[in-house]
Amino acid sequence: MSALVASNIHKAFGDHEVLKGVSLSVERGEVVTLIGASGSGKSTFLRCLNLLEMPQQGELAIGSHTFVFGRGMRPTGDAQLALLRRSVGMVFQHFNLFPHMSVLANVTEGPVQVKGMARAEANTLGRDLLAKVGLADKADAFPSRLSGGQKQRVAIARALAMKPEMMLFDEPTSALDPELVGEVLSVIRNLAAEGMTMVLVTHEMSFAADVSTRVGFMNDGIMAEIGTPEETIRQPRSERLKAFLSRFHETH
Amino acid sequence: MYVWEFAALKPYWGLIWQGLLVTLFYTVTTVTAGLLIGLIVGILRTTAPRWVSVPLRLYIEIFRCTPLLVQLVWMYYALPVLIGVDMSPAMACFVALSLYAGSFYAEILRGGIEAVDVGQWEAGRAIGMRRGKIFRRIVLPQATQVMIPSFINQTIMQLKNTSLVSVVAVGDLLYQGSVITATSYKPLEVYTTIAVLYFVVLFPLTLVADQIEQRMGAHR
Repeated sequence: MSALVASNIHKAFGDHEVLKGVSLSVERGEVVTLIGASGSGKSTFLRCLNLLEMPQQGELAIGSHTFVFGRGMRPTGDAQLALLRRSVGMVFQHFNLFPHMSVLANVTEGPVQVKGMARAEANTLGRDLLAKVGLADKADAFPSRLSGGQKQRVAIARALAMKPEMMLFDEPTSALDPELVGEVLSVIRNLAAEGMTMVLVTHEMSFAADVSTRVGFMNDGIMAEIGTPEETIRQPRSERLKAFLSRFHETH
Repeated sequence: MYVWEFAALKPYWGLIWQGLLVTLFYTVTTVTAGLLIGLIVGILRTTAPRWVSVPLRLYIEIFRCTPLLVQLVWMYYALPVLIGVDMSPAMACFVALSLYAGSFYAEILRGGIEAVDVGQWEAGRAIGMRRGKIFRRIVLPQATQVMIPSFINQTIMQLKNTSLVSVVAVGDLLYQGSVITATSYKPLEVYTTIAVLYFVVLFPLTLVADQIEQRMGAHR
């Protein structure tokens, strides 16, 4: 059964058309990685999947939530959006931890405030998740005391605390010092092994090849190629993808 | 050389004390009302549609860009002529000072809210929080940290600005000073004493402000 079906998603910022009809369906337990040059629309597309960006046209089905976008359609309400986002976790490039809350409070904020979970139960859940990302000893620290890699692992725990059916990662290692990338990727790798459905935008090509069930190449607002890592990364068909990959190998 | 005779003020201590209480009363009430106005206007300015936010901008700019003295006098003398409501001097002072403070507080709050990274809103939305909750739990606490210094500054100014109520004969500290001067002929002693009193009230406030600022900034 599909965890996510996005069809013909269009998005423009002013006159600039960022997504020109992108479709993607993701099966349960799948890990789909989106690659492509900056400006290709991959992050915007990812942000359309939990409706942080509102598509102007297209359809989106996630779990039991379905949305149809287009002229004349009623805009989606705040309550409905909140309901969707409870079941879709998101991890941002710049972590976006809440700086005025302790690490544990960051993780428990969602369960307590959104789901109404009791404080004690949330704390237990929070500590378990922090242990899972290797930060059990940082529960009472504040985000400003953490390294980038630690911050991103807290952000992952915060998203997992909502027990999402799916996780979205928007360049989770792009803001990290190179030596901190590994610890974050290993947490994501463990999640994949547990069968979490995931969509990732990343520039970590070997990680993508390794962890993904499919890799999609976005170019100029369309899904130019999509297939197994073997197909997309090792045997690119289009000239654009070949060029992107060779440019990539030169600089990395 | 001038011989200071502070002892000459002794019979007037009751009046000075009374004036000080009036000053503090106007400060506390107009800061409270101003904060309430500022909170509502500041939030609406950042979130409401244009037909709401544009008139509010107009209110803010009118009160920020005209002298408070003019506002007080206008409120007392012109408003009754224009809309037929007679206000006591005390009421006119309260309204003018509150609206004046509100216009500044609103801008401080708006600045604080807008200084919070959009990523904070997005992180809240991504875990399924709704607008109001994100605002209260995530954005406002962070905006408050940014606002504290400007807020304290404005509140100190507000206390000093209450001295303008003496113009419409409300008996604050400065007004009593002028009354005492008129009978005692000791302007230097009187105004020195008044300056010291303002200082004694405000200086500890700035110390408290420093403390709050340091404590709130600890986790940034």
